[in-house]
Amino acid sequence: MSTTELNDSRFSIDATDLSRFHSGTDAPIWWGIVGLVLIEMSVVAAFVISYFYLLMSNPQWPPADYPVPELMLPTVSLVLLLISCVTMYMAGRTLNKGQVTAFVLYTVASVALACVVLVIRWQQFQDFEFSLDQHVYGSLVWTISGFHFLHVVSAAIGTAVVAILGMMGFFSSTQRIGVVVDTLYWNFVALAWIPFYLILYWVPRLTYTAGG
Amino acid sequence: MQSTATYDHDPASTQLLSRTWESPPGVLNWFTHVNHRQIGYRFVVTSLVFFALAGVLALIMRLQLISPENTLLGPDLYNQLFTMHGTTMMFFFAVPAMEGLGIYLAPLMIGTRDMSFPRLNAFGYYVYLIAGIALYTSLFLGMAPAAGWFSYVPLANIAFSEGRGMDFWTTMITFIEISALAAAVELIVTILKQRAPGMTLSRMPLFVWAILVMSFMIVFAMPTVMAGSVLLALDRAFFTQFFVAAGGGDPLLWQHLFWFFGHPEVYIIMVPALGIISSIIATFTQRPIFGYTALVLSLVATGFVSFGLWVHHMFTTGLPHLGLSFFTAASAMIAIPTGVQVFCWIASLWGARIRFATPMLFILGFFAIFVIGGLTGVMVASIPFDSQVHDSYFVVAHLHYVLIGGAVFPFFAGLYYWYPKMTGRLMSERLGRWSFALIFIGTNLTFFPMHQLGFEGMPRRVYTYLADMGWQDLNFAITLAAFVLGTGFLLTLINAVISRSRGDLAGSNPWQAETLEWATTSPPQNYNFRHLPVVSSRTPLWDQSDADRLECVAGLRADRRELLVTTLLEARAQSVLIMPNPSIWPFLLSLAVGFGFLGFMFEPWLFVVGFALSFFMIVGWLWPKKPWLDGEQSYDQSHDQC
Repeated sequence: MSTTELNDSRFSIDATDLSRFHSGTDAPIWWGIVGLVLIEMSVVAAFVISYFYLLMSNPQWPPADYPVPELMLPTVSLVLLLISCVTMYMAGRTLNKGQVTAFVLYTVASVALACVVLVIRWQQFQDFEFSLDQHVYGSLVWTISGFHFLHVVSAAIGTAVVAILGMMGFFSSTQRIGVVVDTLYWNFVALAWIPFYLILYWVPRLTYTAGG
Repeated sequence: MQSTATYDHDPASTQLLSRTWESPPGVLNWFTHVNHRQIGYRFVVTSLVFFALAGVLALIMRLQLISPENTLLGPDLYNQLFTMHGTTMMFFFAVPAMEGLGIYLAPLMIGTRDMSFPRLNAFGYYVYLIAGIALYTSLFLGMAPAAGWFSYVPLANIAFSEGRGMDFWTTMITFIEISALAAAVELIVTILKQRAPGMTLSRMPLFVWAILVMSFMIVFAMPTVMAGSVLLALDRAFFTQFFVAAGGGDPLLWQHLFWFFGHPEVYIIMVPALGIISSIIATFTQRPIFGYTALVLSLVATGFVSFGLWVHHMFTTGLPHLGLSFFTAASAMIAIPTGVQVFCWIASLWGARIRFATPMLFILGFFAIFVIGGLTGVMVASIPFDSQVHDSYFVVAHLHYVLIGGAVFPFFAGLYYWYPKMTGRLMSERLGRWSFALIFIGTNLTFFPMHQLGFEGMPRRVYTYLADMGWQDLNFAITLAAFVLGTGFLLTLINAVISRSRGDLAGSNPWQAETLEWATTSPPQNYNFRHLPVVSSRTPLWDQSDADRLECVAGLRADRRELLVTTLLEARAQSVLIMPNPSIWPFLLSLAVGFGFLGFMFEPWLFVVGFALSFFMIVGWLWPKKPWLDGEQSYDQSHDQC
């Protein structure tokens, strides 16, 4: 093995003092979660486009004997999910300022809001007056609702873990990338409800022809 | 010979660095490896195993077709074989093989030590392996899917495909896309955020550009086939009505969802091949590639346009005329970026002193085969012609010319070209030339007569035919030729196995290439580069008279896995990333997810068990370990270790 002395001038960059912490776009994981969100958005788009494709290939939408969907509870879900985006934002903001207790409270509040949404959605599954195997309309409503339900479950569980880690003192204003990416995913899950809400609850109201 | 030995100014710290980045030996530890070179190598080797399996299936099918009314295979087994052949070649060979090359080479080419998410990388590999094993288990149990690699409904519905075969297909296709998507995301992030300082986007090797474009295409194309195969699985398991006309569903929706993925898929396979071609042409002409910017723009344009072509697979399904015209125009448009690339390559080769080694031979073979495939592509892009040859052997001939020409020839060129980097030894030129000759002749003799068979009306996917159709002579010749082709591939396999121990030692840069993967030893050390390089041009190894003169980065610690994060466009040093050590969690997670998917086929509620198991594995995987607190005391001593 050669023991030639390295010419120091060849070291044109010194990484010694570069940060070992990442808080946003400088962290590969941030870009990784953006990639995950892009993938999931493609799935959402596939569902939405399939919905309209099937709507257009059917003469009547929703089919005869299917009720026009009620707006009240899904709208409440929408509002709660939007509020939860704000509480997640506040969680990140308070963590930036080093207020760990407030951070934990906001995170817990977000999980609680998601749980309320899950209870409401679960109730709506019970209330659907149609099954998934009679007509493709029912198949779509059940599948898209189930898809979003599972995502809220996983976002809530993930954020609950973040809250627990927060109580254990893992996060601080320098070490917060876990919170940043969790919020990113949370926002996707919450905002994905907007297109689903519109196609599941508004589109059939607009295309509904009484009596068929 | 160029050597990086002179980098090693301090043997002790080099040893420490090597130990830090070591993948622990031992059988059980095999499941903990996360290094991108191990994972990339496994992807390539495993994909070649599937390539061989699918090739054997094709040969068995050719034996069945050697004479009219042959009884070697029954119709059901024949259906299983061609379904498995297509599914394996597309999902289990082509995509993982290209991703494997990308995973192995891209981090070396951009001068970093590992990929951004090494454990996700490992997870993707196990998912791929489990999906492949499960699918082939179904074949050996005699219950493989039998509805073709594109699984058209209503044939693939529960009403016409009873049994587990299609369930294996829908669940394993959904499952393996997880692997492809994971690899795509981390290739994107690695390429965008971990390039060597100074490697601006406009200095990035063309192969890396190709891998980047491929990865973006995967991100937008694969979710559609995932969504589609989930809907098909629901149709089969819970009797939803997505693709059932009687329940308001639409069988055509399946074709749209499938081909919206399926057409970009062709380019997902081809785009990295274009990158391989550019790399090899530059090296074997020993001068910079002509039209770098045009080539990059063409790659990106190909990526975009390929999403507007899918309906040309559906010309005979009775779609509106306006739609058909649009997709005919779009299909013709893809010829523009492809043509630009071909002309750039011709300009690169023009007047150069070309070195005709095996990799270059495969590239020249690519030109011949791919041009024929492209020409028949222009023919089937015309609707009246397509209506005549649709579902005939003409299409079989066309797609094999395109895929073998566009993906297999470049992939084998890449195999010969980068084999010395991966193993430290060169493959035998003599065997390589024989292999190339047999593959080239075999491909043409096997697939060219199929054009004629198509004109004579022989339909695809028939397991036999009558003697008075007059197809037996060509079929007989094709079957013989298929064995020539198989022998050609076998020679490369033998070559690879023999050269592993007996090939000539390669040294770090046997082809005098210009990109960074050749700046380190063959095979690279655990840490890839003793010091992370800094680049100031597109062809760093040609501009520095030898690799030891590359500028490099100081200040990365040797006692833990550290690498440099740089800015997205200009690749300025931004921060230091601490990488995870070997871990068993990715393997456990892949088992949990695999359990959920396989369980779903038999008892849908087992999916929930898999979901819960996965959650625990993910928490175990992601549990924070505060790595920035480790060895704080030793920080000062290691300050000057790079």
